[in-house]
Order: sequence, then C-alpha cells, then structure tokens
Amino acid sequence: MSNTTPRDTGNPMNIEIDTRPLPIVILSRWWRFPVYLLLGWILYHSYFTPPPSGLSVEGFRSLVVFLICLILWVFHLLPLAITGLFALVAPPLMGVLSAKQAFSFFGSEPVFFILGVLILAAALLKSGLSSRIALFLLRQSGHSPKRLIFQILLTASLLSFIMSEHAVAAMMLPLVVVISKALEFVPKGGSYGRLLFLAMAWGCVVGGIATMLGGGRVPLAVGIMQEAGHTPITFIEWTLTVIPIVILLFFSAYLVLTRFFKIDVESVYEADRIISERVRELGRIRLEEQFLLVLTMGAILAWIFWGTKIGMATISILVVVLLFMFKVVDWKALEENVEWGIVLMYGGAIGLSSIVSSTGASRWLVETYVIPHITSPWMLIGLIAILTMVLTEAVSNSAVVAMLLPISLSFAGSFHLDPKVIVCLIASASGLNYTLPMSTPAIALAYSSRYLRVKEVVLAGLAMTSLSWIFLMLTAKFWWPILGIQIP
Amino acid sequence: MKSPLSQPLPAEGKESTNTGLLKLELIASGINLGEGLPSPLTNPFGLIHLILPEGVSVSVQQASDKQQTPFTLLHHGKRFFLNFSGKETPVQWVPPLKCYHKKTRSGILISDILTVHSGLIAVHPKGPCRFGLSGLACRYCGSSRELSNHPPFSKQDLIEAIQTVLKETSCDVVHLSSGHVETEDGGIVWLTPWVTEIRKHIDILISLDLAPPKSNSWIDQSYAMGVDAVYYDLGDFAPHQVTGNKKSEEDKKRYLETIEYAARIFPKGAVLSHLVIGLEPMGDTQKGIDLLVERGVVPLLVYFPPSPHSPLSERWKMKPEEVTPLYTHLFERLVQVKNTPHWVHQQDVLLTPLEGRFFSEKSAGFHLALKKFYETGFGRKVRRSMIGIRRRLRVKHHPAGYR
Ligand code: SF4
Repeated sequence: MSNTTPRDTGNPMNIEIDTRPLPIVILSRWWRFPVYLLLGWILYHSYFTPPPSGLSVEGFRSLVVFLICLILWVFHLLPLAITGLFALVAPPLMGVLSAKQAFSFFGSEPVFFILGVLILAAALLKSGLSSRIALFLLRQSGHSPKRLIFQILLTASLLSFIMSEHAVAAMMLPLVVVISKALEFVPKGGSYGRLLFLAMAWGCVVGGIATMLGGGRVPLAVGIMQEAGHTPITFIEWTLTVIPIVILLFFSAYLVLTRFFKIDVESVYEADRIISERVRELGRIRLEEQFLLVLTMGAILAWIFWGTKIGMATISILVVVLLFMFKVVDWKALEENVEWGIVLMYGGAIGLSSIVSSTGASRWLVETYVIPHITSPWMLIGLIAILTMVLTEAVSNSAVVAMLLPISLSFAGSFHLDPKVIVCLIASASGLNYTLPMSTPAIALAYSSRYLRVKEVVLAGLAMTSLSWIFLMLTAKFWWPILGIQIP
Repeated sequence: MKSPLSQPLPAEGKESTNTGLLKLELIASGINLGEGLPSPLTNPFGLIHLILPEGVSVSVQQASDKQQTPFTLLHHGKRFFLNFSGKETPVQWVPPLKCYHKKTRSGILISDILTVHSGLIAVHPKGPCRFGLSGLACRYCGSSRELSNHPPFSKQDLIEAIQTVLKETSCDVVHLSSGHVETEDGGIVWLTPWVTEIRKHIDILISLDLAPPKSNSWIDQSYAMGVDAVYYDLGDFAPHQVTGNKKSEEDKKRYLETIEYAARIFPKGAVLSHLVIGLEPMGDTQKGIDLLVERGVVPLLVYFPPSPHSPLSERWKMKPEEVTPLYTHLFERLVQVKNTPHWVHQQDVLLTPLEGRFFSEKSAGFHLALKKFYETGFGRKVRRSMIGIRRRLRVKHHPAGYR
C-alpha cells in the first residue's frame, strides 16, 4: 500500500497506520460487509425461487451454496477453513439434506489422510530431519554457481515428494537466506540472489505434484472423486501418471532460471562453507530422526502397496500413532506446526462437491451451458488445463480444485472420458503456479525474502506456465494411454 | 487599541467586555478578593475557578502584594461579580472539587495525583518537567515546581483518583506528562503502562505530553495503543528560546519532520504544541505559529507570567492587549487551513485557539456549535466513539515477524 506509513524497524508492535483518505480506508476495510449482505440475500432469495427447468429444488439450492462458497474462497472473504465449515452447514440450512448427512462428509477418508500427512510433515520439520536431508542434498556444489542452483532446485523438489511443499519452503527459506547472506547478496542486489530464492520456490512447486504428499490438493481431488462415486486413484497410480511432467518441468525450470536470470557470481565457495558448517553443527543423526526416516519410508511403501487394501487414511493415522508411541514428537510442538485450518477446508470442500454432484446440479450445469460449446474431448482437456493454471496463480491450489473439479467431473460422462483424466489434469495443473505470491505459500515465502519482484518473475513464470501446459498435453496424449487412461 | 476591558466584540459591534482579553488579564494579573467570599474559595493549588461570560473558563490566582490588579471578586447574595474600572460583570464561581481532599485506598491525596482544569485532568506521573522547573508558572500540574513535586503514586492510585473525580464532575481528557525525557522513544515507553491502565478501566480521551521521538514508529505506536492527542513542544529551538540551549539544525529538522508526521497519523487538531508567548518579539512568535500550523499542528499559546524570582521575569514585557493579535492570527490561520481549533475546547489556564475568535472578524459558528455539542453528555459519547472508530480503521496490526 503506497499510502500507509513507512515501516520502521524501531517499532516493536508491528503496526501500520493507514493514512489514506478515510472513505478509501472504510471501503478497503468494510467492503466485505455489503458483499456478505448480498450473499445472504442471494441465499434467502434462492430459497423461495423455483428452480430452472430440468433441475431439482435441492440441485438448485446446492448450486447456489456452491456459488457462494466459490465467491468466499476466491475473494478470501473468509479464511479458507471457515468457508469450509460454512460449506458444511449451508446445505442443511437450505434444506438440501439433513445436518446429520452433511456432517458425515467431514468424516471422509481423504480428510484423515491429509491430517496424517500434515502431522508427519510437522514431525519431519520439528525433528530437524528435513533440514538434515536438505543439507545432505545441498553439499558439495563444487563452488559452481550453476550447480548450487541445480542442487537447491533438486533438494526442494525431492523433499516435496515426501512433505507438503509449503513445509519444505518454510524449512528451506532460512537456509537460502543464510546462503545469500554468505554470498553477500542484498535484496534488490545482484540477480543470482533472486535466482536462489526462485529455485527454492519452483523446486517446491514442481516436486509438489509428484506424490500425494506434496500438498493437500491431490488427496482433496481424490476425495471429491471418491464421493462422486468413482474408483479413487491410488498413491502409485498418481505418481506414475505425473512423473514425466515432473521430470520435464524440473529440467525446464533449471534451464529457464539460468537463461532468464544472469549468473553474476564466479564462485559460491562461501555457500559451500556455510552448508558444511551447518552439517557439522547438526552432528550425528539422532535415534528419533533415524526412527522417523524409517517410519516415513515405511509409510510411503505402505501407501504404494497396501493403500487400496487397508486405506490411505488408515496408514497415515497409524503412522501418527507410531510417532507418539515412540515419543518422536510431542503434542505441543505439533499443535503449533500443523495447519489445522486446511483440514477443515478439505472437509467442507469434499462435502460440498459431493452434494453438488449427488443432487444432479453439476450435470445439469454442464449439459445446459458447457457441452453445447465444446466440440471435442481434447478441446475440453486443453481448456480445463488453461483455466486451472490461470486460476491457480490467483487462488490457493486447493480452492481451485474445490471449485473446478465437482463440475468438471460431470464432463467426463458426457464425453466418455475416464474421470481419472479430469482428476489428474486439475490436481496437477492446480499445483503449477510460478509467478504470483498469492498462488502458493512456497512462492509467497520466496517473495517474503524481498529479493523477488513480480515484474521480473512474470516473463520466466509465463514461460514455465506455457511449458507446463504443453508437457501436460503431451503426457496426456502419449503417456497416459500407456497407463490405460484413454482419451477418445 | 482601546482600553483592554472595554474593547468591543467584533461580532457584536457594541461596547462590552471582550471575554478573551478579560481571561488573559485575569491570568496575567490575578485577582483581589472582596468581602464575604465563601471558604474554601480556591483549589489546593491556590486557583480560583471562574466561568466568564459566554461560558469561558478561567483559573485565577489571588494577586500577590507585588501584582497590581484592577480586578476584585465580589459576592452579593448568591451571585458573583468581577469588579473592574467601577464596573461589575457577573461571573460564575465554581467551588473547588471536594475530592481533592480525598485519599486513595493506599492513602495518597488525590490532589497529589492530579489537577482538574475544566474538562481536562492533568497528571504528571514522572514529576515536574522543564516548564515546571524553568520558572514559568505552568499551572497544569499545580502551578509551581513545589507542587509538581508530588509523592510517587501507583497506576491503581491514578485510576481510583480519576474515577473519584469523574463521580464529581464531567471531564473529557486525561492529560499525562512524560516530564519531557529526552529518550529515543520520547517518553512513550514509560507512559505506556499508564495509558494501558486508563484505557482498560475508564472511557475517556487520553492526551500525552511527549518529547519528539527519534523514530516515527513511536508515533504509530502511541496512536495505536489508544492515545488520542499528543503535545510535542517546540523545545529548545523555539523562536523564544525559553531555556537557551540551542539545538543543532539536524535536531530541528528531525523535530519538524516528527510533528508533521504525527499530524498525518492523529486526527485533525490532535497534535498540539505549547508555545510560550510574551518573552520575545511578536514577529518571532508569529513565525513559530506559522511553522506549526503549516505542518498541521495546533499551537497552544501560553501566556504565563514567570514567577517573580525567575530570571525570565526580566524578559516579561508584553501586556495582554499587546499579545491579542497572536491569538487572532492563530485562530484565523487554523480556520484558513481547515484545521480543528477546538480539540482542547475548555482550558482554564490558557486561552484556547478557539478563544482567539474574540479578537477576530471571522465567524467561529461551526466550531462553536461543535464545541457546544461535545460539551453535552451525548456529544462526549459521540466524540469518543468517532475517535475510536477512526483508530479501528486506520491501525493495522500485523502478525509477529511481519517486518
Ligand atoms: S508542562 Fe506538564 S509537567 Fe510541566 S509543569 Fe506544566 S503541567 Fe507540569
């Protein structure tokens, strides 16, 4: 905000005084209230309005609730988690279904899978194991600036295979700050400083789509798919489906970064020194860390081999129980490190999408407004991918999934598409954002270093988005059929 | 200029007493006491509180032997009069607050904690300041250096004292002085717990007397924590050079930046600065007024005769009627730049900027109406709510680590 008072390091209270003219301040602070009123009025009004032909009363009302939740999610009118809760209570309030039925959606399997994964990520972070892995991967760049960039990208990517990408970014950021300081970069300084932070963020983004552990959006998508009555994608199926995209994007990210940003340092000897120093400080791997490592590996194997048989959520909760049985972490530390709100958001989103499809609302919407304009399945796939990628730059990844998937799943039937195509498309594309800080915590954290400027990232980001779309289409065309996912 | 006490009111155009001038004369020369006046007549600080025509409040000292005053306070039946030049002007006498003699639960006399100046409760938890020590008889905290040397009291004592005062009379503002400590924060850190305690227990406006801080963030913090107005005094580089310590150009620049910044943060009219008048050529004071007004600050012109034993008394040359153009200039400049001359709407030890209207041709209708409204119970509530809402809107608290 240009008109707010300057930030001053002497202020201990983190206060900012908005000195813009009062009407503007009022508008910026209170614009939400008229919007709330309007949304309330829409809900109230729709309750008494007859549905359009071809749509049931319940379908119409659930569509209205869905629309309202979309607005709340997209414009951040409420925290994501609170909108998730609203999505659970609004349908019974509108008489779409009973409160008992609505709340039962919250107990769906993917919600508990996500819960377990978040707790495991917090344990990795808290125990220091994730930093140890990061430092191990970062060692020995051979003083080469390009190699250091490659290693940061690789470390962030690989760690995002087993932890949610925002946890990886949060863990790696201090490390990258220390490295950039050791190389005597200052914000707004040389371009190599920017490169370091962007490599970390893009590494998280690219690696984050590789497994179901990289973020909540894949489990969310699987949950929505399951609630809509389709056979869910398994852990290994997912990774196999997207791995070519991940590999292609990984190398593209390295090339784009090193082409678009000038490498204005000769040697990164200081960075190597710092990393070695950190490794030395860490000392020998502790027993807890060893146990955690084994447990994480065990969990991944269990998800791969028994995920379908005993349930993804069962494994993830079992891992949590083992964590506590062997006192690897304590509850207090976990409480502070787990994003509990995300779990609430997922519960609400899965419930709502299930209501929208079970009442026939999504099918009606698609058949009435979309199908007449779409001529081929490839046109549909291409458009969905573009729409998801554009939206995900501005809206949180999970919100994009909650928004697009329930409706898009209805396309699948109409075009004789395997629902897995739609799920893989939206769940992967929603994670591929490279430019704006509001898109994902990893990018936001990179910006928080104050090294990056949106303007500079835009071109490189645009190149990555275009490449992502191309790779997604190529994978769908040539790789997915090999896995048995056919597109007519 | 006509005889001070028969100067016509510009608005009325007929021969009558100019209330503004009358107030200045009374502050400057004190008052003689007639026969049969009630007892106790003064508050514990020796001040007699009178309401002059048009509701103007003034606190007057009994004239000493050295002072020659034309004024005598008379009492006929239930009514009080000011006698001067053979003419009797009706005035109201406000009996001293009874609560001054009460004690807090810990045994501190309320008059040792605070002084009430028609609507403004002055507190100086830290002790006497440069003014108090300079020999200028600043009367907020008890008019003399001896009286501002109070025994220490706690926050609890202060809350009890304010609550006791509010039971007896209505007040708008609690004014706390930091004693003008020259620290990096300007004294705000020291005053913070006092402000917090008052905010927690009492619904009242709070103003602080501070030294300009070294960084603007302290100004943000003062406003965010619930301070409604601040007084940053011109200090040593004021045109009149009260204490004679010249500060560097850099300090002066910093000071001016500070007050300008504060005026952007606080509501209109709520950044004030005392400006002592009567010790230097009028042109210099006028420059001081312009300097402050241009930066959005409201100067409060202080016309206090120094105590006779002070070396400053030598320099005290200006008579009340000579300084009135300064009040006129101040009032008209404030109206011209659309600043608020009524943040301090009642002050009995000095002439408020709005009282400069007594010497001006310009209409003060709007400001007077607002002042009158703010003096009603409902008006006080509205004013406090509006100030509170403004703060809620303007202050943004960021999570730790935001910077
Ligand atoms: S300026 Fe404040 S502290 Fe100083 S003498 Fe006056 S009232 Fe007391």
